[in-house]
Amino acid sequence: MRRARALAAPDPQADAFAGEEAFALPGVRPLRISLLLALAAVLAAVLLGASQGSVGIPFTTVVRILASKVLGLGSVTWPETWEEIIWQIRLPRVILAGLVGATLAFSGAAYQGILRNPLADPYLIGVAAGAGLGATIVLVSPVPYAFGTLSLLPPAAFVGAVLAVSISYGLARSGGVAPNVTLILAGVAISAAATSAMSFLIMANHERVATVLSWLLGGFNTATWQKVGIVLPYSLVGGAAVLASARFLNVLQLDEEEAQQLGVPVERVKLLVIVTASLATAAAVSVSGLIGFVGLIVPHTVRLLWGFDYRRLVPMSMAAGAVFLILADLAARSVLSPSEVPVGVVTALCGAPFFLWLLRRHRRAVF
Amino acid sequence: MRRLPLLGILLALLLALTLVMAACGGEKEPAASPEPTAPATDFPLTVTRSDGRNLTIAEAPQRIASLSPAATEVLYAVGAGPQIVATDLQSDYPAEAENTTKLDAFQPNLEAIAGVEADLIIIASNQDDIVEALDRLGETVLFIEVPDTIDGVMGQVWLLARVSGHAEEGGRLAQEMKDRMRAVTDKLADVEEGPRVYHELDNTFFTVAPNSFVGDFYSLLKAHNIAEGAPTAYPQLSQEEILDRDPEVIILADADAGESAQTVKARPGWGVISAVKNDRIYVVDPNIVSRPGPRVADALEQLARVLYPEKFP
Repeated sequence: MRRARALAAPDPQADAFAGEEAFALPGVRPLRISLLLALAAVLAAVLLGASQGSVGIPFTTVVRILASKVLGLGSVTWPETWEEIIWQIRLPRVILAGLVGATLAFSGAAYQGILRNPLADPYLIGVAAGAGLGATIVLVSPVPYAFGTLSLLPPAAFVGAVLAVSISYGLARSGGVAPNVTLILAGVAISAAATSAMSFLIMANHERVATVLSWLLGGFNTATWQKVGIVLPYSLVGGAAVLASARFLNVLQLDEEEAQQLGVPVERVKLLVIVTASLATAAAVSVSGLIGFVGLIVPHTVRLLWGFDYRRLVPMSMAAGAVFLILADLAARSVLSPSEVPVGVVTALCGAPFFLWLLRRHRRAVF
Repeated sequence: MRRLPLLGILLALLLALTLVMAACGGEKEPAASPEPTAPATDFPLTVTRSDGRNLTIAEAPQRIASLSPAATEVLYAVGAGPQIVATDLQSDYPAEAENTTKLDAFQPNLEAIAGVEADLIIIASNQDDIVEALDRLGETVLFIEVPDTIDGVMGQVWLLARVSGHAEEGGRLAQEMKDRMRAVTDKLADVEEGPRVYHELDNTFFTVAPNSFVGDFYSLLKAHNIAEGAPTAYPQLSQEEILDRDPEVIILADADAGESAQTVKARPGWGVISAVKNDRIYVVDPNIVSRPGPRVADALEQLARVLYPEKFP
């Protein structure tokens, strides 16, 4: 009965051109305040992540180390090891987790919007399988893949991801148009092919299996500032492009033809979003492996909590993705301390029940 | 995509499995380890497998298939080489093993294994329930998982010598190994507490805990393994934990992945670690150190030399 009412509810996408709070739920705060609160939540998560770890360092010392490093305040009264743990290991790890979480979440929101498919996530049209294949090729090749601090892994994963998406898009496009269903099917087929090639390479090179699988599972145990530097530019450009496309994404939720008639350059927006979101996802995957669930569920959670307007959905997804992955990584390095748990296991184990609870509680159309 | 979390879990399981294999770790099952004082080879011989079932071997096997690189090394060392007809892909020592029929122990092919018509098949890892599948075919399968102690390794050396009909040579080999290892530990009699050590299996910081046979080397050598207290035999450590526990010696078993003293020194933050400051980072051959075969004595000697250079010049 309730479900029926939910389905019969007025389509929130109907008035896409209405004002700022068109799709806002009753009681939802104005956008600016929401964004400020989201930013505060991200900063709190960063501070929490940096202050907690298997090595117990007092919170005040963590704050003083950060103050000394960032602002040059205070004098050094702590062991050098603590400073290195905070500055070279925990902080880059927390920042990288936040950056990757934000990237996967806004890319997921963008893919879901552009493909008008609630099952879309940033890995759908080939990024994951392509990156996996690229990484595997480097890992099983006889050439050493690490040279000092430089590793061939991230570039190889990046190139693999970009190639796979390009092939999917190239195959799906004809006459200047890339229909959604064709694009998704091409992506699924390319992913299947790349995954099979990857499995074959793994099975033919047993001695490297553990290394490959450990990379695929993903995680932030090897995070460095260098990796943050690799992802940051792509995330910034991708995030800016998706944010700028938010209004178009709203209109696109109508029929594509209608959107075209309303003056939205559908194919150009699609290409821009796919290119920038895929590049950002590829960069994220190249340094953190394949972390599932974030790109799919975070945008849906944001929809349930804050509505369907992409101008709100995209920035809130970024913040929620960052907070979620920072906390998931904190759990990954804490629950079995001093051992690590793959972060993908944590995201699925903690995220799925939360999302299901939310789904039951709201009992309305999610997409 | 619904498939991804599932894929992740599957990958996690596979990873756990392969790490166990790659590191030659085993379950907590007690390894089949008869007393070295048992009477010399008297077929028929009944032994207990790692799955708790008894196996009776009617007479000395003439066609042995070894799907364990460690067992292959033991068999050649006790003079059972001429009886070996097939070995697995990882069996690369001694060189003669390369000339036997090659089988895949990681993705076992039932038909290929049955096809070599062995009268004794030795398996260390029950991939895809291959042990049960071969049992059903009526094959003679000796399933012996990787032990978690050096004593367990010695037990398997003796067991393999007996089942292959080389009890006498096995006794000599075991005695020689024991003497060599005793010579090492005797020199450490006056050591109260050895250096703190971190043994790196791969560059995502998987390591060996004391309750693995590789970890047992460090217990014998009185070194303080920084992975002590980890919940599993082959745990993955947090980087911050490694920095905090400050190893005085770092042993790299992942040189084939490109890691070296230089790459370790270049890792951000690792400069505070004593082993890095004092240049005590050493590369070991994982095929010697991670294989529970006759070369554990070599491994113990090598590790003793890098942990106590002053005592083992």
